[in-house]
Amino acid sequence: MHIHKYEKIWLIFGLTTLLIFLSVLGVSAFYLGNQPPSCLATINPEKVDTTKPFNKPGLKKVKGKAWDYELVFVASAFNYNPGEIEVPKGAKVKVIATTKDVIHGFEVAGTNINMMLEPGFISEFETTFDKTGEFLIVCNEYCGAGHHMMTSKIKVVES
Amino acid sequence: MAQPGLQKKTSTKTEDTSSLKGTLISVFLVGLFLIITWVGVFYLFMDRF
Repeated sequence: MHIHKYEKIWLIFGLTTLLIFLSVLGVSAFYLGNQPPSCLATINPEKVDTTKPFNKPGLKKVKGKAWDYELVFVASAFNYNPGEIEVPKGAKVKVIATTKDVIHGFEVAGTNINMMLEPGFISEFETTFDKTGEFLIVCNEYCGAGHHMMTSKIKVVES
Repeated sequence: MAQPGLQKKTSTKTEDTSSLKGTLISVFLVGLFLIITWVGVFYLFMDRF
């Protein structure tokens, strides 16, 4: 089969870039262990308030784990608990969140933290808060009449 | 007076269809656009927390 020289060039170019992009994904998933925020951890949505760690939402220091803090959020129509939280700069935090009623969004504007909170499932995101500032949390899944009022705030402060 | 068409000589220009230089450039322009936008988004992702 005859293939033009230029065709060979762009076929190799295309395949190489495809392989690079896919390798980045593969390294992220299988080596760095990145996974979707909601990854098979379940909870009884009717007993959120009495289930650990959601019985005490907020920031908690933990020991013996790969992260220093756990930041627990409970979402319900139409608010987040806690409504505002301070996090020390540089803290390695695991954000753990769930919802008591319908599907809510959990987007920390201007960051990579962006999860969907589904009733019955726990969503988690691990990150290091390495910039100070105020970060608005918004619901980005339409959840009802008060959807647009549903916010919270993370303040990253110098420790 | 009618002219018999058969005797008319028409010359058709044939382009060299085997030249793919323009195609090569176009392919690489699209490729570069994809790479630049991909790297841009990836940088944004790595820069944010």
